[in-house]
Amino acid sequence: MSELQGGLAGSLLRVDLTYGTIRREPTPEALYVRRLGGRGVGASLLFDELAPSTDPLGPANKLIFLTGALTGTLAPGANKMCVTFRSPLSETYSFSLCGGHLAPELKFAGYDGIVIEGRAEQPVYLWVDRGHAELRAAGHLWGKFTHETEDAIRAELRDRAVRVAVIGPAGEKGVRFACIQADAHREFGRGGPGAVMGVKNLKAIAVRGTGEVPVADGATLARLVEQAYALLAQHPKARLRRACGTPEMVEATNRLGYWATRNFSGGWFEEAERLSGPRLRETLYVGDRSCYGCPVACGKLSPVTLGRLVGSTIEGPEFETLGLLGANCGVGEPAAIVAATALCDAYGMDTMSAGATVSMAMEAYERGLLAPGDLGGVELRFGSDEALLAAIEAIGERRGLGDLLAEGARRAAEQLGAPDLAMHVKGMELATYEPRGVVGMGLTYAISPKGAHHMIAPTMAAETAGEPSRRLRADGKAALVAETQSIMALVDSLGLCASMRFVLDPHTMLEMHAAVTGRLLTEADALRIGENILQLERLFNVRDGFRRSADTLPRRLLAEPMPSGPSAGNTVPLETMLGEYYALMGWDSDGVPGLDRMRALGLEAEWAAAIRGQTG
Amino acid sequence: MAHKVLAIYASRCTGCRICEQWCAYQHHGAVSPAHARITVQQLHLRSAPIACNQCRRAPCIAACPSGAISRDPMSGGLQLDAEACVGCRLCLEACPRACIKMDAEVGVPLLCDLCGGEPQCARHCPEGAILCLELDLVDRAYRDDLVAGKEVL
Repeated sequence: MSELQGGLAGSLLRVDLTYGTIRREPTPEALYVRRLGGRGVGASLLFDELAPSTDPLGPANKLIFLTGALTGTLAPGANKMCVTFRSPLSETYSFSLCGGHLAPELKFAGYDGIVIEGRAEQPVYLWVDRGHAELRAAGHLWGKFTHETEDAIRAELRDRAVRVAVIGPAGEKGVRFACIQADAHREFGRGGPGAVMGVKNLKAIAVRGTGEVPVADGATLARLVEQAYALLAQHPKARLRRACGTPEMVEATNRLGYWATRNFSGGWFEEAERLSGPRLRETLYVGDRSCYGCPVACGKLSPVTLGRLVGSTIEGPEFETLGLLGANCGVGEPAAIVAATALCDAYGMDTMSAGATVSMAMEAYERGLLAPGDLGGVELRFGSDEALLAAIEAIGERRGLGDLLAEGARRAAEQLGAPDLAMHVKGMELATYEPRGVVGMGLTYAISPKGAHHMIAPTMAAETAGEPSRRLRADGKAALVAETQSIMALVDSLGLCASMRFVLDPHTMLEMHAAVTGRLLTEADALRIGENILQLERLFNVRDGFRRSADTLPRRLLAEPMPSGPSAGNTVPLETMLGEYYALMGWDSDGVPGLDRMRALGLEAEWAAAIRGQTG
Repeated sequence: MAHKVLAIYASRCTGCRICEQWCAYQHHGAVSPAHARITVQQLHLRSAPIACNQCRRAPCIAACPSGAISRDPMSGGLQLDAEACVGCRLCLEACPRACIKMDAEVGVPLLCDLCGGEPQCARHCPEGAILCLELDLVDRAYRDDLVAGKEVL
C-alpha cells in the first residue's frame, strides 16, 4: 500500500525539447514522503539529475515545475508552484515560487509536476490538455509581450479558462533576471528562470485540467479549513494585507530605518509616506485580486497612467517592487513605479533585480562612470522617473546600456570597473530590507542558497518586535535564521503561500497535510524535513564549488556605517553571526556540511557526491 | 413561499474561486472546478461568479424535453431526474446566465440545488460577492455598491 493516501495527482510529465519527446512517469512518491513536495522535491530532483557545474544557459539545465500535496484541495492559499533550476544570475541552485491558478490547474490536469529538459530548435510551447500533451510551434508568439502571448494562446486554444505560464522578450533575449509569468501578473520571479526557458526556446506552458486530487479525509480537511478561514478573517496581519496588500510593510520598514534607499546608501526614504499601504489604498488601488483558494486577496490592482503601457492595469506593485523600483532608485512617485512594474511584467523580468540593477547604474552615473549618451540622452539620476522607465525598457530590449544591465548588477558593475556598487550576494541582488537596520536579514542574504533572497528566512518581524535595539545586534540571530528557514522550507514544500504562515502555525499546516495525505507529521518531524531540504540545497552549491567566501555581503554593508536615519552608525556583524550559524547547521569553518550531521539526516550519499563533485 | 435566492455582486469578486471549491466538494466530494455548479469566469484581471439565478419560471425547466428538471419545493433549488435526462443540453442553451455545465462522465447537466437550502458558495465567499437572500432583499447590496462608487456588472 502506498504511503500517501491523497494529495498526489500521480504523474509527472517529462519533456525533452531537444528530441521533442514527452513522457508521462509516476510521481516519485518516496520523495514526497521524504521532502513533502514543491521546493523539497525540486531540490531532490535537481541534485540527482543535474551534473555539477551545469551551464545555466546551456541545454543541460532543467526547469523542474512541482506542486505540493495541499494544492488542488480545499486548503487555503495552497496555490504555489515551484520551479527549480540552476540560476543564470547567481549560478547557484535556485527555485522560485508562483501563485495564481497555475498550480491547481496542473493537478486537475493529472500532474504533480513538469520537468523540462534540452533545447528546442525552433520556438515552441507546451500544451498540456489532461491526458494529452504536445509541443506546438511558437514562432508567431516569439517577441510578444507576456500578456499578449497569454491572450494569443488562449485564443488559439479556444478556451479562456486555460492557464498559461509565459516568458516575454526579456526571457527570449536572455536577460539574466527574466521571470516566468503566469496568470498575467503572478511570477516565478527571482533568479532568472525566464532566461532558462528562453534559451530552451520554450515560449509558454498552457494547461487545462478537469480532474481532481484525492484527499484521505475530506471531512476533517473541511473542518480544518473552516477554522483557518475564521483565523484568516480576524488576524490583524491578514486584515492589513487584505486592505493594503504587501505595501502594508512600507511604513514600519521605513520608520525603523531599514528600507533600502538609493542603492543601499541609506535605510530611510524621505518620500515613503507617498508609498505607504494606506496611502496607496486611498490614491492608487482600483480593485483587489486573490490567488486560487485564498480568502486574503492581498493582490491590488493599479492603473498605469504613465509611459508606454498607459491605459493598462497591473496587479501590484508589491512591497519589494515599491522598494527596489521606488525607494532604492530614489523614486517616490507611485505612477512611475506602476509604469515601471508594467514594463517589467510585459517584458517578463523580475522587478526586484531590475530595480536593484537600475539603482546600481544610477549610482554609477552619479559617480561619473556613465554618461547621458549611454541611455539615449537621459540623465540616469536617482529620483528620475524618466530614467527609471528608460532604463527598464532598454533592459527589456537589451538595447545600448540595457544590454549591459541585462546581465544583472554584479556583472554590470564589474564591467563598469566598480564591483562594489553592486548590492548582491552570489550575483543575486538584495531584497529591500537594508541589513544594517535589521542584521539578521544580512545573515539570511549571506547564507541563502539562491543568492540574496529575503524569503529564505524572513526574520524582520521577529527582529523588530520587542526591545528596539535588538534588530541592530548579532545575538540570537543565527538561531532565528536557522529556525525561520526550516519553517519556510516547510511552507514552500507544502505549496502554501508564505502569507499563510502569519496566521496558520506549523501544527495547523501539518494537520491539513495529514487530512490530505493520511500521514501525520509532528512539528519536530516537519522541521527536520525542513532542515533536510536546506542541507541538500547547501550540498548542491558545495558540489558546484561554493564555500564560505561566497557567503558574504557587499562591502558597503559590512564596512560603512549606516549614514543616517534610525539605524545610523550600524554595520552588519556578519562574521559573528555566520560562525554561530555554521555551528548550528553542523558546517565546518569553510561552510561545508559535516558528515555526522548529514548521516543523522540521511544525507550521507548526497554529502559524498557533493564532496567528490559528482551527481547524486 | 419565501424561497431564498443566490444574489451575485460581481464587482466584489476577487477571483479566489473558493465558491467553486466548496460547491464541488459539496456535490462531488472533492474539489474539482469541472464539477462545480458555480463558475468564476475570469478575463484578465476581472472575474465574476456565474451561478444559478433561481428564475421563477425557469427556462431550463421549460426547455427540458423529458421533464427531467424540477424545483425542490422545500429549498427552491433545482433537482435533476438523471434517469429521465436525455443529455440534450437544451437546458444549457436556455439558461439566461449560462451557468449550467455538463458532467462529462455521466453526460448530465450540473444543476444548482442550493445545497438543500444552505448554499456553500454563499457561506464561504470571503468577499460577500455571493449572498443567499430572500427575494425582497437582493436589491440592497447593488445599491450599496453604487453608493460606494463601484461598477456593477
